[in-house]
Amino acid sequence: MNEDYLLNKRILLVDDEQELLDMVLSILTEYGFQNVKTAKNVKEAKEQAVKSRPELAILDVMLPDGNGFELMEQLKKGGDYPILFLTARGEDDDKFKGFDLGADDYIIKPFLPKELLFRVMAILRRSYKDENPLVCLHDSQIDFSRAEVIKNDEHIPLTAKEHDLLSVLYRNAGRIVTIDALCEAAWGDNPFGYENSLMAHIRRIREKIEQNPSHPISLVTVKGLGYKLIVEGK
Amino acid sequence: MKSIPKLIRRFVGIMALSTVFLVILNIIFFAIVFVRNASTFSPWDMADHAAAALQLTDGGYSISDNVMAELKEENAWAILIDNDTRQVVWRTDNLPNNIPMQYTLSNIAELTRGYVDGYPTFTGEAQNGLLVLGFPKERFWKHTRASWDYNFIANLPKNTIIFLIINIVLIFLIYVVVDSKLLRSIRPITNGIQNLSNGSPVCIKEKGVFAELAEKINKTSKILQMQAEQLRKKETARANWIAGVSHDVRTPLSMIMGYAGQLENSKNLSEIERKKAAVIIRQSSRMKDLINDLNLASKLEYDMQPLTMKRENAISIVRQVIVEFMNTNIDDKFPIEWKTADTLSACYINADKDLLKRAISNLIQNSINHNENGCVIYASIDDDNNTCKICIEDNGKGASDEQIDRLNNAPHYMICDTNTTEQRHGLGLLIVKQIIKGHNGKILIDHSEYGGFKVVLIIPK
Repeated sequence: MNEDYLLNKRILLVDDEQELLDMVLSILTEYGFQNVKTAKNVKEAKEQAVKSRPELAILDVMLPDGNGFELMEQLKKGGDYPILFLTARGEDDDKFKGFDLGADDYIIKPFLPKELLFRVMAILRRSYKDENPLVCLHDSQIDFSRAEVIKNDEHIPLTAKEHDLLSVLYRNAGRIVTIDALCEAAWGDNPFGYENSLMAHIRRIREKIEQNPSHPISLVTVKGLGYKLIVEGK
Repeated sequence: MKSIPKLIRRFVGIMALSTVFLVILNIIFFAIVFVRNASTFSPWDMADHAAAALQLTDGGYSISDNVMAELKEENAWAILIDNDTRQVVWRTDNLPNNIPMQYTLSNIAELTRGYVDGYPTFTGEAQNGLLVLGFPKERFWKHTRASWDYNFIANLPKNTIIFLIINIVLIFLIYVVVDSKLLRSIRPITNGIQNLSNGSPVCIKEKGVFAELAEKINKTSKILQMQAEQLRKKETARANWIAGVSHDVRTPLSMIMGYAGQLENSKNLSEIERKKAAVIIRQSSRMKDLINDLNLASKLEYDMQPLTMKRENAISIVRQVIVEFMNTNIDDKFPIEWKTADTLSACYINADKDLLKRAISNLIQNSINHNENGCVIYASIDDDNNTCKICIEDNGKGASDEQIDRLNNAPHYMICDTNTTEQRHGLGLLIVKQIIKGHNGKILIDHSEYGGFKVVLIIPK
């Protein structure tokens, strides 16, 4: 599917280390992001935020004139966009602090370029999914905004649970999603004991999206562990 | 302290027993002395005996020789007072000069009860008269006016017993008062010693009988507190130092990994150069793991990472870890197979989810690190009554019996307090051991039936 629209998103990158800033910038631009702005401290970041109205901010926790958590609170006042923390502080309480304040994800240094890109894309996909509603699978397309599957020019509606499950699978497209994570997405906080129901739902989804549900191509089982959605063009 | 009431009971017991013992001993002693002095010689008996031995013959009164000898032996004198005339009609030769020869009735009453001119006298009834036996002065002591109230004598046994009981009670009371006072002053000391052994700070009032002892205990407590504080400081400093170093290494390492990652995918580079970049990435990743491990191991070792235990489904935790590995693309070289029974969907344990995930991921990483040529990794969970067994094994090259024995039993070099020349291995298993210890669990390292290495984590439910 076409995710080019995500590459047009405006990204604000804040880190006090110039070389790291350069490196992350080069990773992002090489991948295709065109609107990445950088800042080296809280002051610059705030100015840049006003000027360029970012749609995603990647923040370091420790900055020379303040900390990333405070900066996040201030940035959130200027607009509701996702925040990704990038930090050398690996302490657990920092992690919780970041999530409590509304951070969308957290990457601990050191990291691999593809890990960063995966997280950035996942956040963007989650936050800006409406712009391109059609997800291409091998035998069909999913239109999340209308909650339907288009197969052989036929529009098949999805139930709420099927929609929830497919959303989680799509956000992690190409990666295995555990049975537990799927149950949690569909049935909430205490998702144990729903495994048989999950299997039934997966079967119904396959009937809708696969040409041959007995030999699935797009929604594959990883025995005992979970399921993986394979999206075309990814 | 539990031993104090026991101590009191014991003291009281000894006290009561010894009191009873003393009383009995006294009675026996008194009886022996009394019997010995009373039974050997009675002057009244001797007087009766002498009176009976006195015979009236034609030539006057005479006494047998052996009685005479007895009298002489006692140095006693004797007179016979005639019933009618109340005159001395017979006397022994050794009669002192100033003994009267004529007696009135009151004289006789007096000498019967007491003395004649200071000589203790005893009487015996003889034929026609009264035989008076006189012993040397101070040979006997006579109670001349002995008389007691009847009730006094009648109640004597009862009174004696009451008297004894009062004595015992009094002694007991005195003991209890003195003892409880002593105990009261000992209590802070014993409490202090108890707190000392718990490691809590102690401050006892330094007064009373045990002031000196209290002072010493306070001093000891101060020393112990100081040492504990120093140790804490040292450990904190060490953990902070490791945390600091690992923090500072993260940013440069990010740069190495980031650029190497880009080079690996660069289309402008040759295949060989891209492979070199891949090696840089792999080695940097190892460094990253090492830093994370070092940091966590030091924190766990110095108790700076408290475990947050919650009820968790072990199956879901293990599944998550495996999927994370599979999602990072090791699938081709290191496939992971899920060997848990399909019927088992939940196995609840009390666990710190993040740390347990870390332990399992370390085990999988171990299999990957030690099998450069790839291997199949098998994960299974077994619900065994009170425990949850998590088993990670592989079909790789495994380890020798000796290595397995060492891994099971020898301390890791990082927490070993002796110098070791043993080859140093990674921190992965040490962390697993620390984490499982925190869960009150056990870890078993063995050969796998698949041919490689096997680790079983046994965690109580």
